[in-house]
Amino acid sequence: MNRYSPSLERLAQLAQGRPNLLAGALILYKEQEGLDDEQLAALLRCEPAALSRLALCERPRPAPRFREDVERIATYIHADLMQLAMLIRAAESREALSKKPGETSPALLAARDYEEFEEFNTGDEG
Amino acid sequence: MKATAEEYDFHQRILARDDPIAFAAFAELLYNSLVQDVRRRAGPRADPMLIEEAVGEALLDYHDSPMRYDPKRSSLRSYLAMAAHRDFQNATAKEHRVSGRQVSLFDPAFREQDIVGNQETVDSQMQEEELWQRIDEVFPDPIERRIVTLILNKTRSPEPYAQTLGLCDLPYNERIREIRRVKYRITKRLRRRIAQQLDRIGGKVQ
Repeated sequence: MNRYSPSLERLAQLAQGRPNLLAGALILYKEQEGLDDEQLAALLRCEPAALSRLALCERPRPAPRFREDVERIATYIHADLMQLAMLIRAAESREALSKKPGETSPALLAARDYEEFEEFNTGDEG
Repeated sequence: MKATAEEYDFHQRILARDDPIAFAAFAELLYNSLVQDVRRRAGPRADPMLIEEAVGEALLDYHDSPMRYDPKRSSLRSYLAMAAHRDFQNATAKEHRVSGRQVSLFDPAFREQDIVGNQETVDSQMQEEELWQRIDEVFPDPIERRIVTLILNKTRSPEPYAQTLGLCDLPYNERIREIRRVKYRITKRLRRRIAQQLDRIGGKVQ
């Protein structure tokens, strides 16, 4: 009898190829920043075990739904909302920059960043 | 048996694509029991790694195309367990086919083969020779080269990797984690450094 037990971490690894899920963007961010799971979890102020669940979440929809979606994800993984929002945008930006030309233009991405952070700032004031 | 109320609720949320945590919460709820279901069907000697991959692919395929599932016909759990078991059987059959015709590219008999039938074979051999020269340059470590061979031969079972890396004494989970880490690092280097040669001989790093 071996000590093998199933782990959601393996599903999260398989999900890296699914563009609608956050797994691919997160792994790229971790790699480029040289972070391990503990460090990434510390950044988000959540448990390392929550990272697999985060990887399986859908990417948040663009503004005006961005804040609502990030809030839902932050609540689900018990992470800091602002840190999570910044990480998702940073991860998606890095991913877009590493893609082939024409897939997502940096200008478009910058415009999306602006709209989404406006949404956050407006939400904080209200 | 039809979908349970909970399954139906998850299914509607996943179909609607407006809840970013629906799939993650569903996977979290069902993953372990699905793995157990498929393991029971596959038998005690089945490779647990292949089972988990099959369950993972079934879940992710469902995520990609939830409309294929009809909640009136079966429960979501049995639909996914059936899909995963089918994937597992296909993966096992493929592994047997591959290991049946697997040839080590480091085998002297293979490398010194000098009987060539036609120009196409010569070209193919030259390209393969070029590929292996490049692999020798990129992977000077003989253990890493052995891992490259296993990856290029599409070996999925963890045991040959564990033997090559000397990891057989580690607990299973640690062994798998270490194998994945090494495979990931080597595959990345393969993709980055020798993708062009692989393209030319029609190879592909998964």
